[in-house]
Amino acid sequence: MSMVRQVVLAQFAPNVRRAFFACGLAVICLLFAFPVLWLVLTSLRPQSGVYYVHRGLEFTLAGYVHVLHDERIVEALVNSGLIATLATVFSLMVTVSSGYMLSRFSGPIARSWFGTIYVFRCVPYISWVLPLYFVTRSWHIYDTYLGLLLPHIAVHICFFSWLMKGFFDGIDPSMEYAALIDGCTRWGAFFRVALPAAIPAISALAVLCWLFTWNEFLFALILTGQRTPVITVVMAQFVHEMGIEWHLMSATAALALVPAFLLTLFGQKYVIRGLRI
Amino acid sequence: MSQKFGEQQRFMLLLIAPAAILMVLFQIVPIVIGANASFRDWALNDPKKTWVGFAQYAKVLTDPAFLQVVLPNTFVFMVVSVTLALVAGLALALLLNRPFRGQKLVQTVLLLPLMVAPVIAAIMLRWMFNDQFGIVNVVLEAIGLEGQPWLTQRWSAFAVILLTDVWLWTPWFALLLLAGLQSLPREPFEAAAIDGASRWRVFRHLTLPMLRPVIVVCVVIRAIDAFRTFDIVWTLTGGGPARSTELFSLYAYVHAFLNLDFGRGSAAAIIGGAIILVVGMLLYRILDRMVRVSR
Repeated sequence: MSMVRQVVLAQFAPNVRRAFFACGLAVICLLFAFPVLWLVLTSLRPQSGVYYVHRGLEFTLAGYVHVLHDERIVEALVNSGLIATLATVFSLMVTVSSGYMLSRFSGPIARSWFGTIYVFRCVPYISWVLPLYFVTRSWHIYDTYLGLLLPHIAVHICFFSWLMKGFFDGIDPSMEYAALIDGCTRWGAFFRVALPAAIPAISALAVLCWLFTWNEFLFALILTGQRTPVITVVMAQFVHEMGIEWHLMSATAALALVPAFLLTLFGQKYVIRGLRI
Repeated sequence: MSQKFGEQQRFMLLLIAPAAILMVLFQIVPIVIGANASFRDWALNDPKKTWVGFAQYAKVLTDPAFLQVVLPNTFVFMVVSVTLALVAGLALALLLNRPFRGQKLVQTVLLLPLMVAPVIAAIMLRWMFNDQFGIVNVVLEAIGLEGQPWLTQRWSAFAVILLTDVWLWTPWFALLLLAGLQSLPREPFEAAAIDGASRWRVFRHLTLPMLRPVIVVCVVIRAIDAFRTFDIVWTLTGGGPARSTELFSLYAYVHAFLNLDFGRGSAAAIIGGAIILVVGMLLYRILDRMVRVSR
């Protein structure tokens, strides 16, 4: 069978085979891009045009204008951006050192910390975000920036320590040993030698962290109310309450995609590196 | 010597101290509170907080909805979505593992689903599978088939949820496996080519075994995440129709915040947590044997 196939394939001119390959790639790209393209197309149609998106050629930005005049949505976008940025900064401060410890040391402390991180990474979010509602209430930080920020930082600890350990594993520690021998303290070796060497990895983590926080839903759903709207929650409410106004829905979603899209486009190198565990 | 040892340990503890403090305050304390609540009669509108022992657990574990719908849904979702995304991702990675023009463009397109919030992905597919105006039904009717009310039938709704998840995660598998493929040594493949091994045999006996560590890491991470999926189900179907597509996270949420029975929601959350911990431990042992993550 495979002999026959090889003979058949060999008869194809290389050009034809290349064309097949190109077509296949185009189909795959279309499959993955289509939902996003469709969303953007819907958002550009006038209200009545939504119901025949595939027909007609009227396009308008009215949906975007309408959405941007909605105070709640604008506020939610700003809130999400602020929380994602702050969570990124603080998460990195916490997880980089923890990942460094996991990578450079062994023994009981490192092993038990790794075990803890693995166990808590497995715990489903719902198991601690339900009671977190009461914790933030009793500390009077429910529905505030702080009340969303701190749990977000906590949720990143496990995964990002693990990722950061992997990054530091890939960085040769001999420079740090040299610094120690030259009389540098451990902290000096960490801050002056290991950290600068890890800047590409830290950037990768920053991009990932920002995206995760911007896209996060469950925490925001439970830990925020009227005072601190967040874009993912506002969109989900939109779907359930005003599910018919698809041009506005799509415009909101497209707006929410823009920052993530720009970040991914310009930080592509870092995203890919960050994904390589 | 022992003094130096103590100094190193202090350094190690200080490095993890901020992370550990945050974890205690925002993970361990809530989990303890949740565990405590799961033994009490704790309605959100009437928090009597009387101790009821294992009554809440008994209620969850004898609830036919939990046993016959939620648990099977969760496991089917976990296995099917991870398997499909892995197979599709592996196929994509093998396809892309050769130099060609436009590679960068394809990579950028593949990154697209990774930056899309699950909520937005769910909104997009909800619109595409809309029973009246969705593009899927429009296309089906154009080629003479009958449109379906996708999101109001149990199995088609579940299929749309799975499709959304696979769309979101296939590129992740593809990029990771592609990175894995590109870091494999070249010599075994050259040797196989000289011996005239068929493509399938090369894949089966060379590529797959050498790629196994990467595959295992991907599957473990994804399986644990898939178990707690919440946002796409919530946005696509809200667990409906008639609560038939609920996954375990949704079940706990619905009981705690919609039915206002916080005790029962907590009990469900603890049961789910216990299940995934057991699954996670098994996966960890496999993972550790294959790639020695903890050293």
